[in-house]
Amino acid sequence: MINYGFSLGDEPKRPKEEINQLLRIMKLLSLLLLWSCLHLSAGTLAQTISLQVKEQPLATVLKAIEKQSGYHILYNDQYIDAHVRVSLQAENRPLEEVLDRLLTPQSLTFLIKEKNIAIRRLLAEHRQKESATIMTQQRLISGNVTDEHGSPLAGVTVAVKHTSIQVMTDVNGKFQLKLEGEGQVLIFSAVGFVPEEVSLKNETTVDVTLRTSTDDLDEVVVVGFGTQKRTDMIGSVVSVKPTDLKVPSSNLTTAFAGRVAGMIAYQRSGEPGLDNADFFIRGVTTFGYKVDPLILIDNVEVTTTDLARLQVDDLASFSIMKDATATAIYGARGANGVILVTTKKGEQGKTKLSFRLENSFSSPTRNVELADPVTYMKLNNEAILTRDRTAAIQYPLSQIGNTVPGADPYLYPAVDWRKELIKDYTSNQRANLSISGGGKAARYYVSGAFNQDNGVLKVPEKSNFNNNINLKTYSLRANVDMDLTRTTQFIVRLNGSFDDYNGPVDGGTSIYRKIMRTSPTLFAPYYPAGESYRLVNHILFGNAESGNYLNPYADLVKGYKESSRSMMLAQLELKQDLSFITKGLSFRSLANTTRNAFFDVSRQYRPFFYELSNINPLTNEYNLQILNENDGTEYLDYGEGTKTINTVFYMENAFNYSRTFADKHNLSGLVVLTLRNRLDGNAGSLQTSLPYRNMGVSGRLTYSYNTRYFAEFNFGYNGSERFHISKRYGFFPSAGLAWSVSNEKFWEPFKETVSNLRLRATYGVVGNDAIGSGRFLYLSEVNMNASNRGAVFGTDRTYSKDGISMVRYANSDITWERAYKSNFALELGLFNKVQLMAEYFEENRTDILMARADIPSTVGLTTTVDANLGEAKAKGVDISIDYNCNFGEGFWLQSRGNFTYATSKYTVFEEPTYQEPWLSHIGQNLSQQWGYIAERLFIDEQDVANSPSQAFGTVPVMGGDIKYRDVNRDGKISSLDRVPIGYPTTPKIVYGFGFSLGYKNFDFSSFFQGSMQSSFWIDPQATAPFVSYTYSNEDLGGAKTQNQLLKAYADSHWSEDNRDLYALWPRLSNVNVSSNEQRSTWFMRNGAFLRVKQVEFGYTLPHRLTQRLKMGNFRIYANGTNLFTISGFKLWDVEMAGNGLGYPIQRVFNIGINASF
Amino acid sequence: MNKFKKILFIGVTLTLLVSCKKYLDVIPDNIATIDYAFSMRSTAERYLFTCYSWLPAHASFSANPGFLAGDELVCLSTNTIDSWAITRGQQNVLDPLLNYWDGGKSGKALYQGIRDCNIFLENISRVPDMQPEEKDRWIGEVKFLKAYYHFWLMRMYGPIPIIRENLPIDATIDQVKAYREPIDSCVDYVVQLLDEAGAVLPDVIESESSELGRVSKSIALALKAYVLVTAASPLFNGNADYPNLIGKNGEPLFNPQASSEKWQKALTACTEAIDLCETVGFSLYTYATGIGQTAISDTTKIQMGLRNAVSERINKEVIWSNTNSLIDQVALTPRSWDPSRVHSSMSGRYGPPLKMVELFYSDNGVPINEDKTWKYAERFELRKAEHVDRYDIKEGYTTIGLHFNRENRFYASVGFDGGIWYGQGRTDENNAFYIMSKSGQAANIYTLAYYSATSYWPKKLINTQNVIEAASYTVRWYGWPVIRLADLYLLHAEAANEVNGPVAETFKYIDKVRERAGLQPVLESWKNYSSQPSKPTTKEGLREIIQQERSIELAFEGQRYWDLRRWKTALEELNTTFKGWDNFQSNAAAFYRPVSLLQRSFLQRDYWWPIKEESLLKNNNLLQNPGW
Repeated sequence: MINYGFSLGDEPKRPKEEINQLLRIMKLLSLLLLWSCLHLSAGTLAQTISLQVKEQPLATVLKAIEKQSGYHILYNDQYIDAHVRVSLQAENRPLEEVLDRLLTPQSLTFLIKEKNIAIRRLLAEHRQKESATIMTQQRLISGNVTDEHGSPLAGVTVAVKHTSIQVMTDVNGKFQLKLEGEGQVLIFSAVGFVPEEVSLKNETTVDVTLRTSTDDLDEVVVVGFGTQKRTDMIGSVVSVKPTDLKVPSSNLTTAFAGRVAGMIAYQRSGEPGLDNADFFIRGVTTFGYKVDPLILIDNVEVTTTDLARLQVDDLASFSIMKDATATAIYGARGANGVILVTTKKGEQGKTKLSFRLENSFSSPTRNVELADPVTYMKLNNEAILTRDRTAAIQYPLSQIGNTVPGADPYLYPAVDWRKELIKDYTSNQRANLSISGGGKAARYYVSGAFNQDNGVLKVPEKSNFNNNINLKTYSLRANVDMDLTRTTQFIVRLNGSFDDYNGPVDGGTSIYRKIMRTSPTLFAPYYPAGESYRLVNHILFGNAESGNYLNPYADLVKGYKESSRSMMLAQLELKQDLSFITKGLSFRSLANTTRNAFFDVSRQYRPFFYELSNINPLTNEYNLQILNENDGTEYLDYGEGTKTINTVFYMENAFNYSRTFADKHNLSGLVVLTLRNRLDGNAGSLQTSLPYRNMGVSGRLTYSYNTRYFAEFNFGYNGSERFHISKRYGFFPSAGLAWSVSNEKFWEPFKETVSNLRLRATYGVVGNDAIGSGRFLYLSEVNMNASNRGAVFGTDRTYSKDGISMVRYANSDITWERAYKSNFALELGLFNKVQLMAEYFEENRTDILMARADIPSTVGLTTTVDANLGEAKAKGVDISIDYNCNFGEGFWLQSRGNFTYATSKYTVFEEPTYQEPWLSHIGQNLSQQWGYIAERLFIDEQDVANSPSQAFGTVPVMGGDIKYRDVNRDGKISSLDRVPIGYPTTPKIVYGFGFSLGYKNFDFSSFFQGSMQSSFWIDPQATAPFVSYTYSNEDLGGAKTQNQLLKAYADSHWSEDNRDLYALWPRLSNVNVSSNEQRSTWFMRNGAFLRVKQVEFGYTLPHRLTQRLKMGNFRIYANGTNLFTISGFKLWDVEMAGNGLGYPIQRVFNIGINASF
Repeated sequence: MNKFKKILFIGVTLTLLVSCKKYLDVIPDNIATIDYAFSMRSTAERYLFTCYSWLPAHASFSANPGFLAGDELVCLSTNTIDSWAITRGQQNVLDPLLNYWDGGKSGKALYQGIRDCNIFLENISRVPDMQPEEKDRWIGEVKFLKAYYHFWLMRMYGPIPIIRENLPIDATIDQVKAYREPIDSCVDYVVQLLDEAGAVLPDVIESESSELGRVSKSIALALKAYVLVTAASPLFNGNADYPNLIGKNGEPLFNPQASSEKWQKALTACTEAIDLCETVGFSLYTYATGIGQTAISDTTKIQMGLRNAVSERINKEVIWSNTNSLIDQVALTPRSWDPSRVHSSMSGRYGPPLKMVELFYSDNGVPINEDKTWKYAERFELRKAEHVDRYDIKEGYTTIGLHFNRENRFYASVGFDGGIWYGQGRTDENNAFYIMSKSGQAANIYTLAYYSATSYWPKKLINTQNVIEAASYTVRWYGWPVIRLADLYLLHAEAANEVNGPVAETFKYIDKVRERAGLQPVLESWKNYSSQPSKPTTKEGLREIIQQERSIELAFEGQRYWDLRRWKTALEELNTTFKGWDNFQSNAAAFYRPVSLLQRSFLQRDYWWPIKEESLLKNNNLLQNPGW
C-alpha cells in the first residue's frame, strides 16, 4: 500500500503514526499466527476510479475522487493551489494511476496511507524540470521487470541515463515513467542483478528481465556474526543461491552434492526420514570424533536433521565457510567448516503471499536383481554338494521340477518377496506458503510448510495397519522485524519443525534387508485359511522348521511404529545503532532457546506360523500345521523406543563498528561474546547429565584501502566445559590479505577483457572441541556399581556386591584439535560474463584425539587411553565457474560448474612399529582401507596346497575360492599381508555442472553431478548366497536367515563345470567361507559416477495474464531427479556404495506450481 | 542522556563478562573417581570383590578349556562355543580362542585383573575405617588372586610377563613393552605371592554362610602344592623342546635341565597343604543316609558319596569352592530319566566319549584291559543285566559288556543306556530311575540341536537332588570345586612317587582315594587281578597308575586336560577319534555300533596358547610361542 512514487525526501513520521502502524502490524501478525486467514486477500487494493472532467477546479475533482473511492484526501491550501483547472478522462482506472495523471502535471505528488491520501508538492528542482517537460510532448512509459524465473522484481531502480529521473518498481515489478522526446536510454539496476540498459525509440512499454549477478559490486555475503560485501571478502566463503538448492525432496541435504564448491557430499539411503546425505567441507580432515561441519541457522547451532527439514523458500542466504579467516571467529568449533543459513525476513511493502505445491512420484533408481526360484534351488543344491559330496541337499529334484512360478504357490512356493512387499513407485506431496510484508515500523515473514513422504512398501490387503512409511513433516516460521525507535530494531523469530512418522516396526531399510535374506522357495508368505481354519482370527503366516525363519511379510504386517520429533526455536534479537557514541558503532544482542523432543512407540502382535503337513503327492492336498502355538499372539503388544529431550540456550552480544575515512580507508570491527548451554533430559549417566557449555569472545578487524588492498584479522577466544581448567580456553587467530588487481589504475586497459582479478590469501588456526563421545575426558570416570565386576559368596550365595570398574582414565592434558588452515584464492571475471573462482587450500590438523594404540594388554588397562596424539594433513582445490549470457529477445543462458578435490593423509598416528611398511597408516588417506590382494580363484585343491596357506575360519579352502597374495612372502596369508587397497571410501572428487536457459516464458535447466576416486566394497557376507547373515547391531530375535541369490552371482560364479578363475562370485557354499569374506580387492569396486541429478522445465504465465488474475507471478514446472547414471557398477545404485541391499536411492518425477500474490 | 547510555552499555557488558567467569565450571564436587573406592570400608570391599571377579569361570564350558578342549566331553560338531572350537582345530593367532591374555573369545583379560589387584594393594592402606587384621586378610586374598591370575596365564602360555607393580597411565612406550620372563621366575613369583598370602590368611573360612568362596590359607597352600607339582612336571621342568625360545632380553625361557629338586619342593608343599587341611577338618566325602531314607546298599552309598563329593555344596572335601561359577547342569542332564517327563528343560548336550568310558577300572580296581577276569574282548557284545547288577544297571535291560562289572566311580560318574540313576527325587533304590537312550526313548534326541552325541552323560556333575518335574527341572546348584582333597591326595602321590618311588608312603594317599571308591589298595589290586602285577613296583609303572587314577577320580572336572599337558602326554592322548553310540538307532544291536564323531588332532604347538598377533605388533619385546 506504499506508493513508490518519485523518490522524495520524506518528512520524519510523527511518533503517533508510527505507533498506530505498529499496532496495526501486530494485529495483523496475530491473525497470521493463528493461521486462520490464509486467504487474507490483497484484492481490495485495486480501487478504481471513473472520471470525465474538463477544466474543473482541482478541489472539485479531488472531492469527486474522495466520494468514489471512500478515501480521505488531505492537503494544505497554503502550498497547493486547489483552484487550478484540470481535465481528466478515466474509465475504471486504478486510483493511483488517476491521481498520478491528475497531480504530476501540477508538480504534486501523493502518498496513500490506509484510507488517507496526502497530497504534497514535489521538490523545487524536480518541479522545474517537470514543468519544463510539461511544455513539450510527454509520453508515458510503463513496463515490468522480472527475474530470470519470471518473478516480478520489486525495488529495481529505473533511471533515465544522463538525467536525474529515476523511479523504482513496485511490488509487482511494474514501473511508470513520463518522458519527452526520443532516444532516451533506461538503466535498470538492482542489488544482486546485472544492470540492463534499454534504448528507447517510441515504444510505451518496456519489459525487462534482469539476470542474477554472480559478481555484483554490492553483493552482500553472510559471514560469521555479520555480513561482508562480496568485493571485500578475504576469507573463503561460498554463498549458494537458495534457489539452487531446490530439489523435489523434503530433505535439503540431498541437494548439496555437486552444487557447492568445496563440499564433499553423498547419499547412501533413500528411506524417507533417514535419507540425510553425508557432507563434509573440504573433505574429512580428521580421524577424530566429529568430522562434519558446524551448522548454524540464524546464528544458532542445529543438527543435520534440522538443516534437512529447512524449506528452500524460507532461505535468505546459504553460506559455506571454509578457511581459517572465515571460521576462526567460531574458535573451538569451526575446524570442520561452518554452514551458515539465514532465513528470510519481511520486506517493506504490501502483503505478498506466495505458495508452492508439488506432487512427485518416486521409485528406486535401481533394484538389486535376484535369480529366479528354480535357479535358486538348483544352485542351493550345488552349493551344498560342491563343498561336501555326501551332504543332504535342501531341495529335492521333484520340488525343483514342480516349481513353475505360479503353479501351486503353497506346495511349491516361488515367492518374489520384493513384489509381495514393495510397490513400484510412490507419490509424495509438498506444500508451502509464505506471507510477508509490513510497513516501515515492522516487517514480517511468516511461512508454513507441509511435506508428506511415503515409502514404497506395500500395505498388504491382509494387514490391519498402515505399515508403509509415511513421514509427515511440518514447519512453521515467523520472523518479525520491528523498529522500536529510529536506531533500535527488535527481531522475533519463531520456528517449529515437526515430524510425524508411521512405518514398519523396524524401518524400511530393515524390510529391504530381510527380503534379501529369505529363501524364495521355502514357504509362502501366508496360507489361505481353508475350511479347517475358517474360525481362526489371525493370518496363517508361512514358515518352516520350528517357525524360526524370517518371514518379511509377517514382519511387515505384524505391527507398526509411530515416532514424533519436534524442534521449537524462539529467538529474540535486539539491534541498536550506537552512532550517538561514535559514528559507525552498533550493538546487537541475540537470545535463543531451542527445544528438541523425540519419541517412538511400536505396536505389534507376534505372528502365528504354519507349515504344510500330510501332503498327499497324488492329489496335492495338504493340511496346515501350526508351528508356534504358544509363541504367537492375536493381540497387540507394545514397546517404547528411545526418548530424547534436550534444551539449548544460546546468547550472543556483539559490538559492530564500520566506518569509512577520507573515502578511502574502510575500517570495520566486531567483538562478540557468545554463550551456549545445552542440557539433555535423558543423558544416561551423571557426567553426561551435566550441562554442555561453551563461552567465548570473538572478534574481527578489517581494513581496506581504496578498494584495492584488503586486510582482515579474526580471532576466537573460546572455552569449553569439557576440558581441564588449565586447558579450558583457547585462542584461535587468523589473518588474511587480498589485492584487487583489477581495481588498480594500471589495469584500466584490460578491464574490458578481464573485468575482475583478485588475489586472496589467508592463514589461521581453528579448533574442534567435539573430540570424543565422552564428556570431561580429563576426568577419570569410575563405575561404582559395576555388576560385571561383582562377586558373590556364601553357602547360599547370599552375600554379593557389585564391583568397581574404570570407565575412563584421567588425563588432564586432553584438549581440542587444532586445524592450521591456509587458503589461496584467485578470482577472475572475464568479459563481465564469466566468473571463475579457484581456491587452493592446505590444512594441518594436530592434536587429534586417538586411543593410544600401542599399549600392550599386559599393562592391564580396562579401557583405552585417549590422548591428543594424532595429526593429519589435507589439501585440495575447489573451483567454481559461472557463465551468464543474455542473448536478447527474451533468450538467456546461465551455466555453471564446480569442482572439489580434497585429499588427506595421516601424518602422526600411534600404531605399532610394523616390520611391514604397508601396514602403517602414515601417509595414507584418512578413509583408506586395508585388505588382501586377490589374485584369482584357486584352480583346484592342488593349487590350494601349492599356495601360501590361507587359514581363515573353519571351512577348508577349495578350488574356486579366492587366492590372496602373500605380500610379505612368509608362506602364509595373515593380517600382515593386508595392504592399502583402492581409493578412500570418501570420494576425493565431487563435481557438478549444469545450465539454465530461458526463452520468454519458458525455462529449462539441467544439472549433472559426479563423484570420482572413491572405492567401496560389495559386502561378501550380506550377499553370500544361501548362508545365514545377521547385520551387526541387529536383533532378529534368533530368527534364521537364508540369503537370496543375486542374479549377477547366479550368472557368474565358479563351478566345477565352469572353472572361471575370474568369476564374479567364488565357489558356492551354503555356509560362510570366511576365506572369501576377507576385505580384499576381489569385491572392491570403483565408486565413480556421473549422474543427471536434475532436469527441470518450467513455464511462467505471461504478466498480463497474471495481472488479470490479480497474481504477482505464476509458474508451473516439472522436474526429475536422479534420472540417469553413468557408472561401471551395475548391481545397485552406485552412490549407495556398500549399503546396496538397503532402501534404494529414489528417482523422482515431480510437478509443481509456484504462485505469488 | 548519551553519557548515561554509554555508562549503561559498558556496565552491562562488564557484568556479562564477570558473571561468566564461572560459567564453564559445570562439574559438581563428588564426581566418582578412583579415590572414592578407598575412602571407606564398604567401597573397599567392592574393590576386593572386583579383584575376585576376574577369577576364570571354572564351571563354564566355553571359558574353561578343561571340559571341551580336551577329551573328557564332546558335543555336537555344530556347536560353536569357543572351547569346542579349539578341539575342532580353530585355534589361531589373529583372534585366539579363550584369549586370557588380552581378553576375548570367552577368555577374561587377566592382566586387567592383575592391574586391579595391584590398585587394591597400592591403596588399601588408605582406608580409614578398617581394623589392621581385616586389611591384612584382604591383602592376603588379593595377593592370592594376583598369584592365581599369573598362574592361570603361565599354565596356558608358559613364560609370561610378570606384573609386579602397575605402570602409570602415562608410562612411555618403552616402559610398557614387557618381556616374557623365564618359566622358573614365573613359578617363583607365584609361589612367593602365595607364601605372602598364606602368612596372613585365616586357616579356613569361619563364617561359611557369608564367606564361602573366599580364600583361606588352606586354599593358598593347596594351590601352592598344585603350582609346584605343575612346575615339577615334564612340560615345565627340563623341557628341552624349546631351545630357541630365548627372551628378547637374552634369557632362555625354559631351563632344559630337569631338576628333581622341584619334585621335592612339590612334595613338601603337598604334605604341608594336606596337613593343614586335615587339621582344619577337611576329609574325603562319604555318604550318610538321610533322615527318613530307607536303608540303601553299600554300592549305592559309595556311589552317592562319590557323586556328592563334587556336586554337593555343603561339603567337607571341597577345599576351594568357586561360588561365582556354577555349572550349567541343564546342559548336562539327559533329556529325561523319567519317560513320563520329557520336555525342553534339559538339553544334555555334553557327553563323555567312549574313550573316557573305557578309562574307568573294572570292579577289581585295575584297567579293564589289564584285568585278568574282565572279558575285555567281549566288551562290545550285548548283554542282559542280571539281578546282581541291579544297583548299577536296570535288571533285565540289554546293554553291552562294557557297562558290566565296572568300579563304582564309573557308575557314579557316567550315565548310560540302561544305567541306574539313583536319587533325583526317588529314594527307593529298587525303584530307581534308569536311562533309556536309544532312538525313540526318553533320553534320546529331542531336537536336532541338543542331544548327547555319544549317548553318555557326565552323571557326577548332576546334583543328586535335582528333580525333573512335569514341565520344569529343579536344579540344586553348587559352587565349582576348584580344588578338593582327593585332588591334593593324588598330587601328593604323584610327587611322592617322583621323589621316592613306590615306597609305602607313596601309596598312602592314593589308597585313601581308592578306599573311598570301594577299591582295594593299588598293590593288592594289581597283584590279584592285573595281567601286569609288578606294574606298581616300578616308578614308571606307578606313575602310569597314578595318572590313570587321577583321570578317573577327577573325571569331567576339567583337570585331565591340564594334566595331559603337564605330563606331556597330550600328543598321544589328544590325537584321538571321538566315538559314541548311534543315536539314530532304536534296536540295541544297531545302536551299539561305535560311530566316529570327530578326529581330534593335537599338535606340538598346542601345548602353549598362541599370543594374539596384534599383541606382538604392539609389543615387539614379546615372542610368539613356538609353532604359531
